[in-house]
Amino acid sequence: MATVKLENIYKSFDETEVLFDINLEIKDKEFVVFVGPSGCGKTTLLRIISGLEEATSGSVIIDDKDVSNAPPVERGIAMVFQSYALYPHLSVFENIAFPLRVAKVNEKELEEKVFKAAEILQLRDRLDFKPGQLSGGQRQRVAIGRSIVRDPKVFLFDEPLSNLDAALRGDMRVELAKLHQNLKTTMIYVTHDQIEAMTMADKIVVLRDGVIEQVGSPMDLYHNPRTKFVAGFIGQPNMNFLKTTDTEIKNNNLFTNIGDLALDLAVDISSIKAGDEIDIGIRPEDLGVSASKLGIPMSVDVVEHIGATVILHGSVLGNSNFCAVVPSDSTIKPGETVNLVFDSSKCHAFNSSGQALMKTNK
Amino acid sequence: MSSLIQMLKPKTKSQTTTMFAWALIAPAAMVMFWIVLWPLYETFRLSFTNSNLGTLMGGADFIGWENYEKAIGGRKFPSIVTRTFYWMFLSVGFKMILGLIGATLLASNIRGRGLMRALVMPPWIVPIAIGCFGWLWLYNGHFGLLSNFAEMVGITNGPFSFLAYKQSAFYSAVVTDVWIGTPMVTLFFLAAMQGVPKDLYEAAYVDGASRWYRFRRITLPQIMPTIVSMALLSAIWTFNSFEIIWILTEGGPRGATTTLIIDTFKTAIFSYKFGAGATRAVLVVLILGVFSVIYLTVLGRLSKKYGYGGVQK
Repeated sequence: MATVKLENIYKSFDETEVLFDINLEIKDKEFVVFVGPSGCGKTTLLRIISGLEEATSGSVIIDDKDVSNAPPVERGIAMVFQSYALYPHLSVFENIAFPLRVAKVNEKELEEKVFKAAEILQLRDRLDFKPGQLSGGQRQRVAIGRSIVRDPKVFLFDEPLSNLDAALRGDMRVELAKLHQNLKTTMIYVTHDQIEAMTMADKIVVLRDGVIEQVGSPMDLYHNPRTKFVAGFIGQPNMNFLKTTDTEIKNNNLFTNIGDLALDLAVDISSIKAGDEIDIGIRPEDLGVSASKLGIPMSVDVVEHIGATVILHGSVLGNSNFCAVVPSDSTIKPGETVNLVFDSSKCHAFNSSGQALMKTNK
Repeated sequence: MSSLIQMLKPKTKSQTTTMFAWALIAPAAMVMFWIVLWPLYETFRLSFTNSNLGTLMGGADFIGWENYEKAIGGRKFPSIVTRTFYWMFLSVGFKMILGLIGATLLASNIRGRGLMRALVMPPWIVPIAIGCFGWLWLYNGHFGLLSNFAEMVGITNGPFSFLAYKQSAFYSAVVTDVWIGTPMVTLFFLAAMQGVPKDLYEAAYVDGASRWYRFRRITLPQIMPTIVSMALLSAIWTFNSFEIIWILTEGGPRGATTTLIIDTFKTAIFSYKFGAGATRAVLVVLILGVFSVIYLTVLGRLSKKYGYGGVQK
């Protein structure tokens, strides 16, 4: 049982303010991912929860107990560092046993716990090795082992997979998800990789410039991003944006033209008026290639065949970073121009300050 | 005819490269030969002769092991060797302990840390002779600061000349040697401590490890290679430390501060017994050689114990 509650957390380093009024509730056994670009404050927030950093103001509440001023060891947390922070002079066994030695656990119990952790993480035959003799993935597992033996209430992960190569990262993602299912504890995970966030999280917290942009389930963020930033950050490849000022409001709906296509968007129009500049967001996977002349023309620069699908990169109506995902049997070649069509109900609209015009679903 | 063809044949590329390499190191090799190898050989040769002031113009005789028999069999020799090792262990021990304490303090995150670090340097930066003269004044019985202070607070009831008594002279020399030798040890330890990744400490802190626990199980093992190598270097320097003792006491009073190197100098230069002096120099080399071998064996064991088991990324 462990809930985590953050109340009005502010943090500044000297003059630089890095976190503003962070409020967040994390439920028991939830896998929460803090995601955002570098410098957004996500690691600082994690360190404040761990107790390695003190918040300038605000409180950290774990299991209904205010631990804002408690040292890390009294918070019931365990942390896995980006660099793994393994003790190079100690064997794998001693690395995993380290927290237990600090806590002066008796030898028999210590051995049992270390062996059990090693069993879970498939490190039984590596216990006598030094960290330097292990592969990246194994070191990662030792670091996790060291956090498991303490039976923490909350696991904190600080970009644990960023030092691994792509293939290993995929494997470790699955292992971490399994670990979460086995241990059934609350986990807070920091990453800048939105794929990690999407695949592992029960709840994603998107941070930007020290502020929480949006909190929600992965699919919620994917389908209903509340800001242009979240829309662009979540989803791979990134959402495409097209600017338009050709806007009209009729019957409480937003009407606009993108190229030859007339869009009728059922969105909340309270924050805009006719003629305002808005951004229309379309996910690459929601685009289709039209057989007719209808649609918006895209001049294709690069064609990526990734097996299941084909990704087209090119420019559309002045946006040179446009991207579309088309079926793998496509024969489109670089240099060609294709007409793209899409369903207006799949579109997202954002006002000039980057706020989403939420769908009204009439 | 065939030799002519051989001569006309162009040299292979690797031959010229080798020649060029030899040419490049030749000047350095020559200097090394004249200032290291030749004197070493000469010392070794002299140690088997009765060379002295009288035989300076030639005529020193080869006398076999006589010098060695006299030196090792001499009445004072065992006590000089014991004293030298005592001097070395005492001084190096203090340098290591003070260096470790100093480095730990300087590594801590306190205000004015930069200034503190700079203030550690002077004993090491100031020329040894000048530092020693400063200490001579401090130790002086009549106008020395230490004696005056001791009298003022009632430790002594009159002027006390620190360098005039056997015991106090020896320990005073140790204090000065430690004063001069500690800054470098401190800075090396500090550099090593700063090389320890910060997240190791954070990880241990999250696990609830106390400051002392972190120092014992992270800092010490992490800087152990530096401690070990500094201890060896410091031991050799201290063993051979000449100018500090010479300026303070000239090996006196009544031989109380005469270490092997002082004895060597006194025999060879003051008594003009070049052969007998050379013998002592050779003995110093042998003793330090044995010491180094023992030491390197211990070092090997230590690095196995604290080793990283390979290179960590």
